[in-house]
Amino acid sequence: MLRAAIALLIVILLGLAFHADGAFYKIGTHRDALRQASVYGILACGMTMVIITGGIDLAAGSILGFTAVCFSMMSIWWSWPPWMSVPASLAIGAICGGISGSLVVWPRLQPFIATLAMMVFARGLAKTVSGGVKVSTALPNGDGTFRYVQVPEFFRFIDSRILGGNLSMVTVIFLLIAGLGGVLLARHIWGRDLYAIGGNEEAARLSGLPVKRSKLLAYVACGFCAAVAGICQAAQEQQGDPEAGGGYELSAIAIVVIGGTNLMGGRGHMGLTLLGTMTIGYLEKILSINAVPEAGRLMLTGVILVAAVLTQRRRRF
Amino acid sequence: MHRIFLPVLILILAGCSGSSKPEGAKTFTIGMSQCNLGEPWRVQMNADIDAAAKKHSNLKMVFKDAQNDTLKQRAHIEELVSASVDAIIVSPKESQPLTEPIAKAYQAKIPVIVLDRAVQGDQFTCFIGADNKKIGKAAGEWLRKKLGPKATVVELKGLMTSIPGQDRNQGFRSGIEGSGLNVAFEADMKWLEPDARKEMESALARLSKIDAVYAHNDPGAHGAWLAAKAANREREMLFIGIDALPHEGIAYVKQGILNATFQYPTGGAEAIDTVLKVLSGQQVPKTIVLGSRVYTADNVEQGGEALP
Amino acid sequence: MRRISKRFGAAEVLRQVDLDIYAGEVHLLAGENGAGKSTLIRILAGTLSADEGRIEGSADVAVIYQELSLVPTMTVAENLFLGRMPRRWGFISPSELAAKAKEWIDIDPHAIVGSLPIGMQQRVEIAKAASRNAKVIVMDEPTSALTAVEVEQLFTLIATLKQRGCGIVYITHKMEEIERIADRITVLRDGQAVASRPAPQLPRAELIRLMVGREVNEQFPSRTPAIGSERLRLKDFTVHAGEIVGLAGLQGAGASQLLLDLFQDPPKAISEGVALLTSDRKTTGLVLSMSVTANCVMAGATSSWRNPAAERAEAQSLAEMLRLRAASLDMDAGELSGGNQQKVALAKWIRTKPTLLLLDEPTRGIDVGAKQEIYQLMNEWSRQGVAILLISTELPELLAMSDRIVVMRRGQVSAVFSHAEATPEKVMEAAC
Repeated sequence: MLRAAIALLIVILLGLAFHADGAFYKIGTHRDALRQASVYGILACGMTMVIITGGIDLAAGSILGFTAVCFSMMSIWWSWPPWMSVPASLAIGAICGGISGSLVVWPRLQPFIATLAMMVFARGLAKTVSGGVKVSTALPNGDGTFRYVQVPEFFRFIDSRILGGNLSMVTVIFLLIAGLGGVLLARHIWGRDLYAIGGNEEAARLSGLPVKRSKLLAYVACGFCAAVAGICQAAQEQQGDPEAGGGYELSAIAIVVIGGTNLMGGRGHMGLTLLGTMTIGYLEKILSINAVPEAGRLMLTGVILVAAVLTQRRRRF
Repeated sequence: MHRIFLPVLILILAGCSGSSKPEGAKTFTIGMSQCNLGEPWRVQMNADIDAAAKKHSNLKMVFKDAQNDTLKQRAHIEELVSASVDAIIVSPKESQPLTEPIAKAYQAKIPVIVLDRAVQGDQFTCFIGADNKKIGKAAGEWLRKKLGPKATVVELKGLMTSIPGQDRNQGFRSGIEGSGLNVAFEADMKWLEPDARKEMESALARLSKIDAVYAHNDPGAHGAWLAAKAANREREMLFIGIDALPHEGIAYVKQGILNATFQYPTGGAEAIDTVLKVLSGQQVPKTIVLGSRVYTADNVEQGGEALP
Repeated sequence: MRRISKRFGAAEVLRQVDLDIYAGEVHLLAGENGAGKSTLIRILAGTLSADEGRIEGSADVAVIYQELSLVPTMTVAENLFLGRMPRRWGFISPSELAAKAKEWIDIDPHAIVGSLPIGMQQRVEIAKAASRNAKVIVMDEPTSALTAVEVEQLFTLIATLKQRGCGIVYITHKMEEIERIADRITVLRDGQAVASRPAPQLPRAELIRLMVGREVNEQFPSRTPAIGSERLRLKDFTVHAGEIVGLAGLQGAGASQLLLDLFQDPPKAISEGVALLTSDRKTTGLVLSMSVTANCVMAGATSSWRNPAAERAEAQSLAEMLRLRAASLDMDAGELSGGNQQKVALAKWIRTKPTLLLLDEPTRGIDVGAKQEIYQLMNEWSRQGVAILLISTELPELLAMSDRIVVMRRGQVSAVFSHAEATPEKVMEAAC
């Protein structure tokens, strides 16, 4: 925990040093850094659970894209109210996660392979249901012309701010998800099962823990988080882009690792992921307000990833 | 230009079965090798080609999507040659690796129309493309007319490692050269809307006054608008983008989000026109540079205005 | 080695330890778990550096750890010469490789190491050390996973190595082995060398006293069995409440498999009052990356939500009951010594209140003091009417603790003896 906080502290010091004419001191900059990191953070919460079991979920980004498309179709095209479209979208994400989880649990596919397949499949699904185009407020009439509808109120609600405009709603959603996930991991028996499975699956099985069910639920939870992220992404873009979330799974994995959760499984917790999300969010923001060119950003991000993980290293037995 | 926008799959099906041909007329089969249907603009290109082809009952289209894979596109071209189609339209992913397959098709006496991205040498029938530099320059000149000197501009660039990104940047800079317009913030947004929004937030944090945002594509301009709107500053500045796809840039202009969008034409209709000319034995020029159009709130209902 | 000291943080693990290793001699390193033996070996092998002291004389040291360091997917010959394969024009010559391997070992050089029994793998590892001209070979509990026959083969190999002039440092908890092969014994206790003498000058009672620092009167605590009603009926034998039934047999005779079969569906078995202590606490018993507390309360959860205070209190009482020595109950189970890990693995099952306890090698690799405590625990359980099925490759332990001995051979029960009639000879005869 301390070490993850050090990584965040270093990044914030970096921001104080390169404050871009005082832009770093503005409260809006911090709000935007957290807003922009929130979608990654929500994905990373689900990823944390899967990684604690010793697995990985490469499909998170694609499930985000698929649910963003589904949610936009329900909300914009079909004008569903949020109390229908939100649960439906969350269920779609959870089912996608459940499918990858089932592949990991029953035919015992390696998580990398099972979720890689789901990653490609869900992306294809997103392009199929959307017809390969963004689901936006420009509705095709079928004869080459379009009619335009209003952006749904619920989209504006998710993209709104509270506390006098100083905290984005998506950040609130992220904190809620992280809090809920943190409590489940630390206090629920299912969370403890995840640690046991990641630490020693055979010992967990021989202790009578429901290994298969718990593992499957980890992937379901990851799919659920991806759906929450998908809803947030769609609301912020005001459209469902079938390409949305491409490569986000890698950012989520990077956040989990920078926080200090072990990729081998069995260790880590949600607080670390929270710190990791803030570290990545602030890093991107500092690079952005200083208008660092893309090539330089990629290199710097790589260096900082390695540096953060090196400071996290602990003694292994 | 007549535009139809529908999911491609449906279009292909319609194209295969929908048109009735007059008895006895010769039917031509035309192969279209698209490099990546993951991009909305290329989806539009195929839609434009299909719409133009449907007006002629003796044309039958065969579409191939290489899914951003150069070698797959090469195989597609070879397939079309061995299927002895009457003409090939190809929008290549890369210049060098596809030069030879295209030359082989041309040498097999199949007319080859190269769209958007040129190949090397002269072993093709006709190249049809737009000029990103010219469009970028037009955008610069348009802003120059709208804004007074010393205005502050944010440039959200596509990807500076890509040729279109470089051309749209250079063209714009030449368009505003000597005007006193100041590009105070520039960043790569990788053609992506969420990234454009993120970069625009940084620009808003750094600059207390922004007069205009020039984004290299319309989604980028839309992302910038969302950021400015969240900061309650969207009325302070102009937003302009490039591409002018009917459901993106043109829609945004109609909704009052963008002040202008500059069309990057797909050349789909021109490609079909050229194919028909070649098949009927007429001469065609080796290179056709497409004109662009600008769409603003004033002219969008009239179908925009052609750029000089 | 002279005046070796080492501390980990605040804990002083080794204090001014001397160790003299002579060529052609088996130097036995004795001591309880946590006495500092492993640390001393790691300093000798050079994987750890001492805070104080020095190693005199230069000798190539090879260590045969309990976890073998072979590549299981490669052949015997390839493992022997890993990194220094005989080459011809840059290519490895398989025939030459096999021929060279035969000089060192009498196992088929083309056999895949992972497919060999553990005893053979260990011989490959020892041959590898010898072929590298190691002057000192350290063996850390080499017989813990071996069958009686394999142990004999190992001892023959050790005799050969001694003739070649190798110095051998040998660690074991088994008294019989100490008496058979030790030439010289150094006893470590709490990081100090409390004695270093030629083996004949150190009788068993004295050795145990030095190791534990107190008199240990009897190795196996006595018990008056109170046999109750039948708890488990299998094809060839039954187990009653309050009874300890010993399962004997060579490695692979099916004893361990029998226990696993009884525990095929863990949740169901646990609900029926069955508990299984697996033979390997590290790979199948504990979750080493979780805290001692979490391991203690892992099995038999009753509610969906955890209560940290209650868990801690429960772990605390279990720790006291088992006399667990842990710096903190929040530390990782993996940081405990072997004996204490075994106690945690047992503690896990106390809370499920089993009526049938399956114990697979409960005392493997743990020191004399901890063994005593586990024996007493077994007796306590059986007094409370728990039926116990016990596997142990240490025959004296099995004979002393069991009310009946069931001998297995090739997956079948070959003989059943009562406590009174069982002798090591009869059991071995039925097993082989």
